[in-house]
Amino acid sequence: MSENPRFKIHKPPNLQNPSLLVGWSQDIGKLGPRVIDYLNKKLGAEEFGEIEPEGFSSFGGVQIEDNVIQFPESKFYSCQKNNLLIFKSNPPRYEHYKFLNSVLDFAQHYDKVNELYTLGGIASLMSHTAPRRILTVVNQPESKEMLARHGLETGMDYESPHGQMPSLNGFLLWLAKRRNITGVNLWAEVPFYLAAVEDLKAIKYTLGFLNKRFELNLDFGDLDLKIRQQNERIKQLTEQNLEVNKYIEMLERGIMLSEDENEELTKEMTEFLEGG
Amino acid sequence: MGIKFYQEPKLEKPDLIVGWPGIGNIGIIAIDTLRETVKAERFGEIEPWDFFYPKRILIKDGELKDMEFPSNKFYFQRTNKKDLIFFIGEEQPSELGEAYARGEKAYQMANLVLDVGLKFGCQRVYTSGAAVSLIHHTTKPRVWAVPNREELIDEVKGYENTILMSDIAGRGGQGTITGLNGLLLGVAKKRGLDGICLMGEIPVYLQGFPIPYPEASKSVVEVLATKLGVKIDLSSLDDLSEQVERQIENLYQKIPSEVKERLDQLKYATYTKQAEPEPITEEDKKKIMADIDKFFKKKSEES
Repeated sequence: MSENPRFKIHKPPNLQNPSLLVGWSQDIGKLGPRVIDYLNKKLGAEEFGEIEPEGFSSFGGVQIEDNVIQFPESKFYSCQKNNLLIFKSNPPRYEHYKFLNSVLDFAQHYDKVNELYTLGGIASLMSHTAPRRILTVVNQPESKEMLARHGLETGMDYESPHGQMPSLNGFLLWLAKRRNITGVNLWAEVPFYLAAVEDLKAIKYTLGFLNKRFELNLDFGDLDLKIRQQNERIKQLTEQNLEVNKYIEMLERGIMLSEDENEELTKEMTEFLEGG
Repeated sequence: MGIKFYQEPKLEKPDLIVGWPGIGNIGIIAIDTLRETVKAERFGEIEPWDFFYPKRILIKDGELKDMEFPSNKFYFQRTNKKDLIFFIGEEQPSELGEAYARGEKAYQMANLVLDVGLKFGCQRVYTSGAAVSLIHHTTKPRVWAVPNREELIDEVKGYENTILMSDIAGRGGQGTITGLNGLLLGVAKKRGLDGICLMGEIPVYLQGFPIPYPEASKSVVEVLATKLGVKIDLSSLDDLSEQVERQIENLYQKIPSEVKERLDQLKYATYTKQAEPEPITEEDKKKIMADIDKFFKKKSEES
């Protein structure tokens, strides 16, 4: 296993049947990457290994984000104090089955991981002032009771429509089930017009669950401040742009917007928040 | 990456008949119709996960119940004349989101299909696909037959309503068969198996539409059924053909009259080599193609 050319180990971790948290770099409301970055920073998680991108990425050039060239990364972090194994990665472009199996191989080999949580945002036709929810999908029914105790939604019915591919998180959950690893997909609701930017409220709500579930003793004072700042920015926009204000008020009253209105609200909000 | 067998039937030198989706789904519809007609029984499958991303997820009451992948199934039947193995692939494995397989995955898939054929003593493989042609949709499609060995040419010449690549003017016997319906026969050649690809003609102006073209599938089924000595029931294909014909006629009515006039000339066009003078000239053909391109380019820009 250690000779697998796809794996690069910097420092073998010392965890005992940890829980594995997985998030993808591109996500609705930037939920997965922001939750993981926050945890890594606050818990002092250490990067200890990675999966090489060869065979999984296109290498047809590089992406630029926030003025900086990016390169595909698939990194494992360990947090010994809290017995957490954390994986953050760009979604693979090719060989999804092989890639996801590599994640589980890695996690099982080095740390005998016994449960999996995937993190993800899901766009919802809601306003940013509405309370967030986390929808869950489990691969073992026994997990539902614990999730419900934490106030998470556990009764989702869903069948992917024809032509719409299941998510990478769903695929990973299915593979985990085949290996008898208990797994949960966490899907935090994100107002659709915040899908391309950060939804700090959804990020905090997800972190809140993980904080309680793994007894992390995190203090979210810094996040609360950022949420207030984001709300303040959105308020500025609604004061400047009466159409945006009208759309948000309609959503708050449970009135559906037309497709064009959805698009316009998303465009205005994204441009405003990214510009500031 | 593996093959799963539900049973291992005893078969004597079966022919392997293979269908994957392609233009107008001509090949897969033809092969599947034949498979249904002979009531072939499922006996194995290629495990899909190495080749495909899942196509459907089912969640009930918050629990992941099922993940469905494109299917890749083997069927068999013993007929009076021949034992048959069918392979129906719901999708071509594609690494770049393309409709056709290519590269390593395509080669692996082709070899797995042939592994099964060889395991049961198969010596011959048939595939089917589309031949994009300068024909009109009211014309009965012919079948272009391409063998993987020179020795098979004489046999193929004897098939009804069939032409060889060398019969097509200007081609000099050259051409390309895109995707697995072609690749499989190349790999079969490498592994010492006879192979023939039967391609049903589809009008050039219909190749980009996401509708099947069952008229061409019918032509392919007729050739295959005669060759294999199988009695066929084409009623399901006739029903589908009627539906598609209505769709095509609706589309045809929307085409500007000057383009339609050009397309109508295809009713009299021949693109195969022949002794008699052609009803339309090469210049006419060029104009038809230019008009078709122009019209559909405009349509695609509008949409």
